[in-house]
Amino acid sequence: MFSKPGSGPAVLRKVTQEASKVDPAKRRDFLKKGLVVAGGAIAGVQFASTLRAADNNLPPNLPEWSKSLGSGVITNPYGQPSPFESDIVRRTVPWLTADRIAAISFTPLAELDGIITPSGLVFERYHAGVPAINPDDYRLMLHGMVERPLIFTIDDLRRFPSTTVINFLECPANGGMEWRGAQMDALQFTHGMISCCEWTGVLLSTLLDEVGVKPEAKWILAEGSDGAHMSRSIPLEKALDDSLIVYAQNGEPLRPEQGYPVRIFNPGWEGNTSVKWLRRLEVGDEPWYHREETSKYTDLMADGRARKMSFVQEGNSVVTFPCPERPLKQKGRYELEGLAWSGKGKIKRVDVSFDGGVNWRQARLKGLVLPKALTRFSLDWTWDGSPAFIQSRSTDESGYVQPTFAQLREARGFSSIYHKNAIHTWRLHADGTVTNVQIS
Amino acid sequence: MSRSASVFYVVVFLSTVLAAMPARAEVGGYGIGTPASAEEVAGWDIDIRPDGKGLPPGSGSVEDGEMLYEEKCASCHGSFGEGVGRYPILAGGEGSLTAERPERTIGSYWPYASTLWDYIHRAMPFPQPQSLPDDEVYAITAYVLYLNDLVEDDFVLTPDNLASVEMPNKDGFFFDDRPDTRNMGCMENCKDPASIEIMSEPSIATMQNEEGVAVPAETAQGGEKIYQQACQMCHEAGVAGAPMTGDSAAWADRIALGRDKLVSSAIAGIGVMPPKGGHSQLSDADVASAVDFLIQRATQD
Repeated sequence: MFSKPGSGPAVLRKVTQEASKVDPAKRRDFLKKGLVVAGGAIAGVQFASTLRAADNNLPPNLPEWSKSLGSGVITNPYGQPSPFESDIVRRTVPWLTADRIAAISFTPLAELDGIITPSGLVFERYHAGVPAINPDDYRLMLHGMVERPLIFTIDDLRRFPSTTVINFLECPANGGMEWRGAQMDALQFTHGMISCCEWTGVLLSTLLDEVGVKPEAKWILAEGSDGAHMSRSIPLEKALDDSLIVYAQNGEPLRPEQGYPVRIFNPGWEGNTSVKWLRRLEVGDEPWYHREETSKYTDLMADGRARKMSFVQEGNSVVTFPCPERPLKQKGRYELEGLAWSGKGKIKRVDVSFDGGVNWRQARLKGLVLPKALTRFSLDWTWDGSPAFIQSRSTDESGYVQPTFAQLREARGFSSIYHKNAIHTWRLHADGTVTNVQIS
Repeated sequence: MSRSASVFYVVVFLSTVLAAMPARAEVGGYGIGTPASAEEVAGWDIDIRPDGKGLPPGSGSVEDGEMLYEEKCASCHGSFGEGVGRYPILAGGEGSLTAERPERTIGSYWPYASTLWDYIHRAMPFPQPQSLPDDEVYAITAYVLYLNDLVEDDFVLTPDNLASVEMPNKDGFFFDDRPDTRNMGCMENCKDPASIEIMSEPSIATMQNEEGVAVPAETAQGGEKIYQQACQMCHEAGVAGAPMTGDSAAWADRIALGRDKLVSSAIAGIGVMPPKGGHSQLSDADVASAVDFLIQRATQD
């Protein structure tokens, strides 16, 4: 392995290569501290010092990288994040599902800025794994109660006028583990089943015009081509409003994890309706009541009845700094930050409480404030070292105010699984650490 | 105005009107896409509705279904639909929907029997979706209905009687009526600070890194990632006698030796397998995590 210490770019390349072999959970430490354990031998101190956040890289010294040349173009034909950020990854909770083929992973919200989720960090939800689809073999069938059933290739879809939107995508089970009580001590797991991307495709209404919908039609079935053949009934009203047949995400072709080459996307609605690897759309006059709209994605109430077709993701918000992954390291000035969103439109305001909901202060909305998109908020704040219960509460343009946990449970009981959008509480301890808590 | 001039103006007028109209207003306006033939549609159109629309010809009995279920379904769902591990429970739970821990099964929760036929045909068995002939889908559906006490043991399911199978919870659902909460957005003195109590805190163990940051007990890339880097090349294909990943029979005797023995063999090497599979940069803990992954794959089926 590292028989001789090196220097300059060659060393960094080597380190990056070695780092890629290390358990990602340990990679950050590996790179930060330069503790290179290779084949049982510890690499030379001189080598390690080139990696460490070493004093000789700090003023008044010139850092190592300022005295040598870096790597050239096309070293990475498809660019990757800095190896120093390799712990910003999707993570899963193994006990949630029986296996990793029908499972979910979470977006690391604590480490992200702005409102756009990088494509590689968008949470994953599969029912039968990610299919490998050659776009030349891809077809979308649109049939049923239509004048002229059609089959489209990718090239066909790209010939129609395109539409680009920025919208969040959220699994309705986001936070579902918290219905009965605080469970997960990380923002990634309490709220990470959400992402926000730029989506490009053709409006479903355009395709429906092309095939000619018959007057008696009321519903559309969207069906995936993966092994699960995931299927959902979507009201025609939504399909004619803003449903998008998407082929691009954040400017590039959809990622395989997100439905490559084509998915349907229903802005503001529960993510499960945005069927990936879309192969078929059938127009009909009644819902199909398939598994994902009866057995799953229905909300069981305390009285034993269940809400169905609960599509909209209602107003929600969460503080992203501080949070368990990003504790406070000293007293003083901070900019508290968080994310708010609503499937009904724009976020109108966000309030923040430091005393568990006794008193609230209005936060400011930062950057783009778009309908059905993640919206970033912040608040200037001085931490005096006192413990606090930090909460955020969103109001959307429909006037809907994010409910408390008590209000949500009063309305729905404890067994709904889906659509948990209650005000979230972080407990800030005197030592600056942050934990998840539910309070009265 | 001369006749030719008036014709000219009419033509100009019409052209202007036509150009101002929406690009298209009739079916097939863009002329993009290929007509879907009846045969093409039939090959992909698999959906079934509660009224039975979409069911293909065929039939299947509870009796036939029992054998097929045992062979193709029981390893995950259990012989009585009780579920294995975290795979779904199919039967039981009657009357539990208002309980503290409701059990949402086909018999206790599902509103329509058609959903069962559709789902088995659409996606089951989990590792071989759409491999079942229609008669087998009828038979397994019949048997799962029987497991839920919804049909008798001599029942034969056909396209004509599926819609008439009475599901106990068929009236248990209502359309979305939200919003169902009303927070007034109070700003000051919204509650008595003394009334605030901690109702719950996480019970799931999380690890802390050196900076005191809570990190999850496992990343998606733990043992599986190590496996992919260091073990997969031989174990996926069974190279040089390596027990194949997920081959329960090949792993059974080894697993019987205990995890510690498997981990120590993997670290020290065994037979033709070099120490740590030739990946000496791996820590012992990394190797152990890969062994755990292999055990999991061999035992999860």
